[in-house]
Amino acid sequence: MSTAEFEDVMDLDIQGVEASTVHPAGPTEMESRDLSVWFGQRKVLEGVNIAFPKNTVTALIGPSGCGKSTFIRTLNRLHELIPGAALAGSVLYEGKDIYDAAVDPVHIRLQIGMVFQKPNPFPSMTIRGNVLSGLKLSGMKRDNHDEIVEETLTAAGLWNEVKDRLGNAAGDLSGGQQQRLVIARALAVQPHVLLMDEPCSALDPASTLKIEETIRGLAKEVTIIIVTHNMQQAVRVSDYTAFFLAEEGTPGHVVEQGATTEIFGNPQEQRTLDYVNGRFG
Amino acid sequence: MSTTTFNPATSVQLEQQKSMRPWRKKPTKFTMAVTLAVVIPALIVAALYLTSDIPVPILLVVIYLPLQLIASGIAAWATKGTRGVADSVIIVNAIGASLFTVIVLVSVIGSLIVRGFRALSPHFLFQNSVYISPSTPLDYGGIGHSLVGTLLIVFIASLISVPIGIATAVYITEVRGRAVPYVRFFVQAMSGVPSVVAGLFILTIVVATGVFNQSAFAGGLAYAILMLPTVARTAEEVLKLVPDDLRTGALALGSTRARTVLRVVIPAARTGIITAVILGVARVIGETAPLLLAAGNNDQTVVNPFGSPISSVPTYIFNNVALPYPDAVSRAWGAALVLIILVAILFTLARVIGRGRVGR
Repeated sequence: MSTAEFEDVMDLDIQGVEASTVHPAGPTEMESRDLSVWFGQRKVLEGVNIAFPKNTVTALIGPSGCGKSTFIRTLNRLHELIPGAALAGSVLYEGKDIYDAAVDPVHIRLQIGMVFQKPNPFPSMTIRGNVLSGLKLSGMKRDNHDEIVEETLTAAGLWNEVKDRLGNAAGDLSGGQQQRLVIARALAVQPHVLLMDEPCSALDPASTLKIEETIRGLAKEVTIIIVTHNMQQAVRVSDYTAFFLAEEGTPGHVVEQGATTEIFGNPQEQRTLDYVNGRFG
Repeated sequence: MSTTTFNPATSVQLEQQKSMRPWRKKPTKFTMAVTLAVVIPALIVAALYLTSDIPVPILLVVIYLPLQLIASGIAAWATKGTRGVADSVIIVNAIGASLFTVIVLVSVIGSLIVRGFRALSPHFLFQNSVYISPSTPLDYGGIGHSLVGTLLIVFIASLISVPIGIATAVYITEVRGRAVPYVRFFVQAMSGVPSVVAGLFILTIVVATGVFNQSAFAGGLAYAILMLPTVARTAEEVLKLVPDDLRTGALALGSTRARTVLRVVIPAARTGIITAVILGVARVIGETAPLLLAAGNNDQTVVNPFGSPISSVPTYIFNNVALPYPDAVSRAWGAALVLIILVAILFTLARVIGRGRVGR
């Protein structure tokens, strides 16, 4: 990103997106308790305790390789699909452990949606088909398909660009459009929690801004957990922030967490201060 | 994939574009060196061809190829220095090897046309061999009954082996159960089964025990044994190419594994799976031994897959090609030509079906 573009974004930020205010901490929607994660013999996360209040946005920040993405994938049970994966501790969703033997992971993933770093629309489906794919794949029954398509694509900031070609292949869209399409796809199944793993890392500043607006809008109804490498983005979109760090040879852990304004404005830890000011990581 | 047809109007544009391709410009020294390196060996070989009795293949492989290597090596050395020599050796060998492949293919098709074209006619495609003896002139009789037989047998074999083959591939790549190494081993071992063994197997298990006669169905079973490993292994390869992002993406939407495979993974690999089927058909369509044993032979047109022995193009060729009657031999070559054309048509059809794009 050039300096000019960057300033553009910051400028737009001030005009377009209202400065994030801390929502009053409501009831907790999700919570990780003493969560540790392994890949084979290697421990990658240790003792993570984070609570995600309902209908807020929480940003997970930290340098590459500190376990943010791994953590977010434990929250909808995608982590277990990796061979050699192991986990200790618990993840509570609406007060119940999602790793309980009686819980069906398919049911969990239906309520806890996810948007990935790389856009992954289904190439064999049309734009419209992609938006509705969640309903078909999960066997969920919702009638007003046209409304869902318009609603979710509008929420993802893509409607105006694709409304005349909903029958085109999803692969014909640009990378940024594809990413907004998969956000719409995730919204169509009406998840209660939306996990976003660096959703804007492949997008241009304008698309990024649209998605950030979308995130702010969604936060009224959905609990959002977003991994980001972009400090400004964390400030712009999140109510709470958790700073992850994996110091030499040790598994990743949470160094500091709290209201975003506190983490960026008045961090308690020297390492947090250094990281949010770009001095390492 | 977009198909652009050649349009004379664009050739003007092409001419204009040429001047816009600065990387195409070469120094005169380079052009001269390349021209000399191409012309001199060709002249020497042409002179030898006219003046001596050296057979053409030997002339090409033993004299022309080394000469061309040396000439190109010298030309490369003169223009690019020592580091150009290795390049020229690889390029000359690559061109030589690909030419060799093309020549083999063209000569196979060429000899089929030369020997078989005489037999071709509309009635050759539609009539059967009832009342036809080996000495009957080419004005009568045909391979209609064999074509029907081959299509029927291949269809039955596909009906059996394609679903099983894809299911095997899905087990290996998607289910990833504990038996994967064993399944893969057996599929691999199965692809080594000689076709005559497949025929014998069906003959003893199905035909000799009286379950079915020699028939299209029994022939299809023998073909299916041969098709299965090809379909399974190719389908496995193409399913492996489907990015994991799509699988996790579908699972993250609350999809079950079965729905993920059926609605996302297999559709994404559709073209590749059609290729797997094509390769399977190509593997078996010319096999003779299994059909001699399991399907038998017949001069009449048979459409009932279970009732009676049935003719097929490979067995028709086998039965006619060694007869001491020139017309029978011509029929065999004609049938071989038709078989190749049939394969080409089937492949083109499969490609056209497979190309279908998503959306309008």
